Amino acid sequence: MSRHVATILLLAGLIGYGAVIVPFAGYMRAKPVEEKLGYVPSVKVLKSLSVDQKEVAGAALVFKVLMYYGTLMGDLPKGAIVNGPGDLPGMSRLLHAAVQLDPYNMDAYYFAQGILTWDAHQYQVANNLLDYGMKYRTWDWFLPFFAGFNSAYFLKDYKKAAHYYDLAGDLSGEPLYKSLASRYMQESGETDLAIAYLGGMVKTAKNEAVKKSYQLRLSAFQEVRRIEQARDRFRADKGSLPISVEQLVQSGYLKSVPVDPYGGSFYLGPDGKVATTSKFALGVTKK
Amino acid sequence: MYALEIRGLGKTFRGKKLRTVEALKGIDLCVEQGEVLGFLGPNGAGKSTTIKCLMGLIRPTVGSATILGRDIASAEARTSVGYLPENPAFYDYLSAEEYLLFVGRAFGMQGDLLSRRCEEVLKQLELWEPRRRLIRTYSKGMVQRVGLAQVLLHDPEVYILDEPMSGLDPIGRALVKEIVLDLKRRGKCVFFSTHITDDVEKVCDRVAVINHGELKVVDRVENILMRGTEGYAVSIAAADGSVEERVVAEAQLQGVISDAVAAGRSILKVEPRRKSMEAFFLDIVGH
Amino acid sequence: MLNIMMVTLKGIFRDRVFQGIMALAVLFLFIPSAASLSMRQVTELSVTLSLSLISFILLLLSVFLGGTSLWRDIERRYSYSVLSLPLRRSSYVLGRFLGLALFMLLTSTVLGLASCAAIAVSSTLYPAERPVVWGFLLLALVYATLKYVLLVAVALLLSTVSTSFFLPIFGTICTYLASGISQQVYEYVHSPAAAQAVSPMLKQAVTVAYYLIPNLAGFDLKLNAIYGVAPNPGGLALTAAYFLTYTAILLGASILVFNRREMK
Ligand SMILES: Nc1ncnc2c1ncn2[C@@H]1O[C@H](COP(=O)(O)OP(=O)(O)O)[C@@H](O)[C@H]1O
Ligand SMILES: [Mg+2]
Repeated sequence: MSRHVATILLLAGLIGYGAVIVPFAGYMRAKPVEEKLGYVPSVKVLKSLSVDQKEVAGAALVFKVLMYYGTLMGDLPKGAIVNGPGDLPGMSRLLHAAVQLDPYNMDAYYFAQGILTWDAHQYQVANNLLDYGMKYRTWDWFLPFFAGFNSAYFLKDYKKAAHYYDLAGDLSGEPLYKSLASRYMQESGETDLAIAYLGGMVKTAKNEAVKKSYQLRLSAFQEVRRIEQARDRFRADKGSLPISVEQLVQSGYLKSVPVDPYGGSFYLGPDGKVATTSKFALGVTKK
Repeated sequence: MYALEIRGLGKTFRGKKLRTVEALKGIDLCVEQGEVLGFLGPNGAGKSTTIKCLMGLIRPTVGSATILGRDIASAEARTSVGYLPENPAFYDYLSAEEYLLFVGRAFGMQGDLLSRRCEEVLKQLELWEPRRRLIRTYSKGMVQRVGLAQVLLHDPEVYILDEPMSGLDPIGRALVKEIVLDLKRRGKCVFFSTHITDDVEKVCDRVAVINHGELKVVDRVENILMRGTEGYAVSIAAADGSVEERVVAEAQLQGVISDAVAAGRSILKVEPRRKSMEAFFLDIVGH
Repeated sequence: MLNIMMVTLKGIFRDRVFQGIMALAVLFLFIPSAASLSMRQVTELSVTLSLSLISFILLLLSVFLGGTSLWRDIERRYSYSVLSLPLRRSSYVLGRFLGLALFMLLTSTVLGLASCAAIAVSSTLYPAERPVVWGFLLLALVYATLKYVLLVAVALLLSTVSTSFFLPIFGTICTYLASGISQQVYEYVHSPAAAQAVSPMLKQAVTVAYYLIPNLAGFDLKLNAIYGVAPNPGGLALTAAYFLTYTAILLGASILVFNRREMK
């Protein structure tokens, strides 16, 4: 008799489960991103809730962001203009919470540097976060290296950049960083600076999604540099700026048509600056 | 229909590391309705194992059994049984009264009948005063009495008691004996296990002796006592008033008496001299 | 079954579990003042704190009550006296489950009322830009209760298998942790970004685990309650159906296992 109850429950459950699970899984997948990333209570609350497991709680938050970011990068439709990088404020909130729980969590800084700068344009926020991290990770040359790049490339604060690069050089024992700032401080050196930085990031990235995003950006900048070099040769030869990228191709200065990996097309600004309609996917097509 | 019918019941326990214990080796036993049967055996003989099989607490490896014709595999078989476990424990967060109400409902009793029976058994077992106290505040003797109360509550036909007298003081033992004798008078079937021969001698109709998982003897108590007769103690008064005591074998008894009568002496007393139940039991279990 | 259910409830109350919860519930008194720490969203923060506190209490209850209820009967040898009654094992297991579930429901009702009071106080002291949607709050509470009732069923299944309280308690905690992230992990390993990093074996293992482990992320409606975002009704219905079927499977399996269990 007891057996019958069990069998009926099991059978009904299994049949029901079979019927429900597919739509249910579909519903879960289709949930809006904000709902997926979830709501994180204020850091004060989190801090008291995680008691003596603050490091784990911090790592869990970073993990959450990484998983979420990984899925976003996975959604990249081939050839189309890249989707917006998802819930940037949400990710930033989680990462900030993570470093407050565990100020030593390098993943959080590393990741924040990636999304806050290129995607969210929150350069000062990124540098503030890095400054906060430098107070704790006093041995780590990555943080000043990031901050130096941000200061030079995005904020154009060359004095600050030199200071950060000095620090990075001291910590790493790598004299290269000391020369970096001075070497690329001119407007024309900007692209090289970015390529050097991105190349390094691609090489050291361990997470596939992160690596992929850096690679994409690196190849875009390599194309930009190719156009810039062609443009400079054109000006040296002809004494005037080219009108368009197409003109560079037609006149043979560019061997092949440059391809924007973000799906846009390159053009020359009035001052000869290379730009692209995708704006390097900087959130223009955000949902 | 038998009150209990056990056919070829065997139980092998699987221990750790593939070790097995054959606790019961095929037991056949029938108990009539209205009969009191003592299930006698030393510690570890397999008494509790047999009883747990009957109550559906463990599954026999081989064999089958019925209670009043109902197979022990079904819960219905237990409706006409009162069972007292060995060293019983009852929900100790309930009071005796609440526990009895719980048991009564499990047996399908309700309303007036249930409350009347509760009062009766509580008074019978001298638990009326402390009936509202939680069982966790009871002494061992009181818990045992709660056990007896829940056995008697629904006035079943069959009583299965696992060592009902173990660990009780003389007053408690006397109470249990009285209850069993009362049940016998009322024509109920009582099957109780014990390792104390005295209990069997006083209250049982039949005794089944078990050792090492095998039934050794099943017989009526008086037959066993009779079979154990070793001779007779005869007291004969001589003419001068002196008393002679002699022990004679059964074969000589007739002769000795007629000789004495012929000699004009008077026979004061003839008493059978027999092995006690205990000696009989020790013989069987091989000590 | 009803009989066992009532005894279960009585046992929980007699063990002063409810008083313990009430002691924890005193924390609700501090929610309005704690929430006022937030500069921008006092009401939102009090909803968050209330829901988190309730979830936390329900989690503790489901793990400890669910994980120890069968184990204690066996450990203290109550099972001999109870399972020898003319009760079916299925009634026993179901009675236990329903008793525990009823207690969870009772707890979340009482705590829900307390949290409503706390939220009402903070929202009158600091009126929110978006008024609290009480219906969504209720939904969030109901689904949180369902989630932890399902967890009770997990704990029961584990305790029918195990002879100690170790497996049920830790197993339930692990299930809880895994169920919170299974959706994310599943989506991650199936994303093209992870294609190179994840071996096909791992991918399959994750897929199997995804369908095996209860997916409790769907029961979390905190966000909807906090920000007054309307939940998707179809999704809610699916989640409820998921709860019913998954719980039925867990209970069916529990009874099957417990039927075979010997009270040695
Ligand atoms: N759960 C078990 N696992 C292994 N062996 C057991 C188990 N229960 C009982 N036994 C063994 O079975 C035999 C009979 O035990 P039992 O029926 O309890 O004896 P008793 O006659 O004293 O009640 C003993 O040798 C005991 O060691
Ligand atoms: Mg015994």
